[in-house]
Amino acid sequence: MRTDVGALLARAAAVVRRLAGMPDYAAYVEHARRCHPDRPVLSERDFFAEYLSARYADGPTRCC
Amino acid sequence: MRILLWAAVALAGAAGWGALALARGEPVSAAWLIVAAVCTYLIAFRFYGRFLAHRVTGLDDRRATPAERLANGRDYVATTKWVLFGHHFAAIAGAGPLVGPVLAAQFGYLPGTLWIVAGVVAAGAVQDFIILFASMRRDGKSLGRMAKEEIGPLTGLLAMVAIMAITVILLAVLALIVVKSLAESPWGVFTILCTVPIALLMGFWMKVWRPGKTIEASVVGVILLLVALVLGRHVAESATLAPLFTHSGVTIAWGIIVYGFIASVLPVWMLLCPRDYLSTFMKIGTIALLAIGLVLVRPPLQMPALTRFIDGSGPVFSGALFPFAFITIACGAISGFHALVASGTTPKMVRREGDARLIGYGGMLMESFVAIMAMAAAAALEPGTYFAMNAPLSTLGGSLEAAAGTIRGWGFSFSPADFQALTASVGEQTLLGRTGGAATLAVGMAQVFSRAFGDGLMGLWYHFAIMFEALFILTTVDTGTRVGRFMLQELLGHVWEPLGRTSWYPSSALASALVVAGWGWFLIQGVVDPNGGINSLWPLFGISNQLLATVALCVATTVIVKAGKARYAWVTLLPLAWLLAVTCTASWQKVLSPDPKLGFLALAARAEQQVAAGEMAATLGRQVAFNARLDAALAVLFVAVTLVVVVSSAREWLLVLRGRKPALARETPFVETLYAN
Repeated sequence: MRTDVGALLARAAAVVRRLAGMPDYAAYVEHARRCHPDRPVLSERDFFAEYLSARYADGPTRCC
Repeated sequence: MRILLWAAVALAGAAGWGALALARGEPVSAAWLIVAAVCTYLIAFRFYGRFLAHRVTGLDDRRATPAERLANGRDYVATTKWVLFGHHFAAIAGAGPLVGPVLAAQFGYLPGTLWIVAGVVAAGAVQDFIILFASMRRDGKSLGRMAKEEIGPLTGLLAMVAIMAITVILLAVLALIVVKSLAESPWGVFTILCTVPIALLMGFWMKVWRPGKTIEASVVGVILLLVALVLGRHVAESATLAPLFTHSGVTIAWGIIVYGFIASVLPVWMLLCPRDYLSTFMKIGTIALLAIGLVLVRPPLQMPALTRFIDGSGPVFSGALFPFAFITIACGAISGFHALVASGTTPKMVRREGDARLIGYGGMLMESFVAIMAMAAAAALEPGTYFAMNAPLSTLGGSLEAAAGTIRGWGFSFSPADFQALTASVGEQTLLGRTGGAATLAVGMAQVFSRAFGDGLMGLWYHFAIMFEALFILTTVDTGTRVGRFMLQELLGHVWEPLGRTSWYPSSALASALVVAGWGWFLIQGVVDPNGGINSLWPLFGISNQLLATVALCVATTVIVKAGKARYAWVTLLPLAWLLAVTCTASWQKVLSPDPKLGFLALAARAEQQVAAGEMAATLGRQVAFNARLDAALAVLFVAVTLVVVVSSAREWLLVLRGRKPALARETPFVETLYAN
């Protein structure tokens, strides 16, 4: 029961993150482990920094 | 069963349009407006959207999208369609769809409503969808790069210059709207000032104290924001504190300019990113609240369907129904700026090709619905109140009594006492001449909210609406300045290589200063403009945005023609022709009209005559004349750039159609998806 609620909350948080364009560290870790097992996985702090520099560097993210 | 359902939707829509069109004398309920719009959207999405998806573009669910092929866990991330729909909507919808309809309400509610609904179905949503499709088939390339690769290098460069110039005008006019709503308003200024320390706190929370905990920080931020909103009332009512936060338009404009520069050179995590999150949550929340409120209250539309101002003599902005209704409402019907987002973050996140119809076409329908709600909120005000808030002070006359005389002269009833009571109820000292749409919309929203969710909180709701608008406008100013800075650095890098390094501090500071100076110039010009600024800047913004849409539609047509589907090219060619007609007529009139209220050159000449006759101070006169000529030059530049793009695209289409060039779309080759469904 408790894990159900936890999983539900985690899923809701993932939806909120995607909506607002926030970085999703869990999804990144999953991707990195699956596709690049040879490379080290960034820490949450480093991932956040790298995500932000990529997101606000190229093209408008917001409209009029 | 299906057929019955769609027939019912069609009937409900027809009933809505009928009620709107046939109302004579009696105010119509806003409910009809919403029913008519929503039914039209549903039918357009189901039938025209399907036609675009299956016939024109040929979306293929078996084809792997960039989000699958290039997955990197950061920007290329496959995202479920409804979540991406929300994300895309939050990215495209800003102040544009809220402000344009409010300004266009001076023609009455009908012209704007018709254009918003017809425009989105046949033009705006088509543009967004096809550009999203084209970018998705090209690994998420930007509009500028697609223009360069599909049409030619010159077009690509011109598109870059056009995007840059449009960004400058957009930022200036958006900042002007904030200035108009915050001038002489201690409550508003206090709340907006509070967003800066709140954002800084969130920034340190996410970066230093609790790395990556973005949701936590946002919850804290939203709560603090609401506290600041409530505290604002006490500040405004305090005799000692209120004067500290009461400022003229010019002071606030300088404040925004300095802030814009600082926000552009600071690291993104400190200020820009936290404000982005705050404004996204506020935007989604408030728009949902407005929709619920309108459905619950269903206010009658007090504005007539058509006003006498369709002849071009309107006080809010000059110019006749054609072409100016179609310039004033850009976002909500068709907005060129969307093509930048539809070829930016969104195409890298689409999970399956088939989702693009909901995200591209549906996302734009949703923005159009926001524009319809703004129109309903503005048209639900008494026309007298609407014009008192939106006509410039120089037209209304300095005092409430003078304004009453002017407004009654236009044939609308107006009670100074009621207006004074309204002003007091929202906690302001004056609401006269707050052109720009934000304040009008805030009053409209406050009336809807206080009727729907409990009386007596008008002031709080009003300032909530002002804060929500100012917050996301300033976020657009932050991100826009930053994007402008990067584009400028790229261009400057061709002149001297070190200037192109985005990580080199002097270069960043220089480029930021240049971009801020660009929009700051137009902002100050708008604030000191005796005619209120919106009259010259908003049409310029509308023209530039529609011209960017023209460029986007050229790229879209090229993509369709090169895919060997020239027989379907009318889906983008028809809106393209319409936009060209509208923008060229509007630019012609804005530059060459002999009426100084409308034509920039006539305005410049009149200012010089007034100086010569001693009716205007020489410095002000020179400034007005110079700025009017600058605006004229800009309008000419926009049209010239666009015409070059249109001609070079048309040449490309003819070459392909005559068989001199192969009909070859530069799509990334087909790879089959590995997704199960």
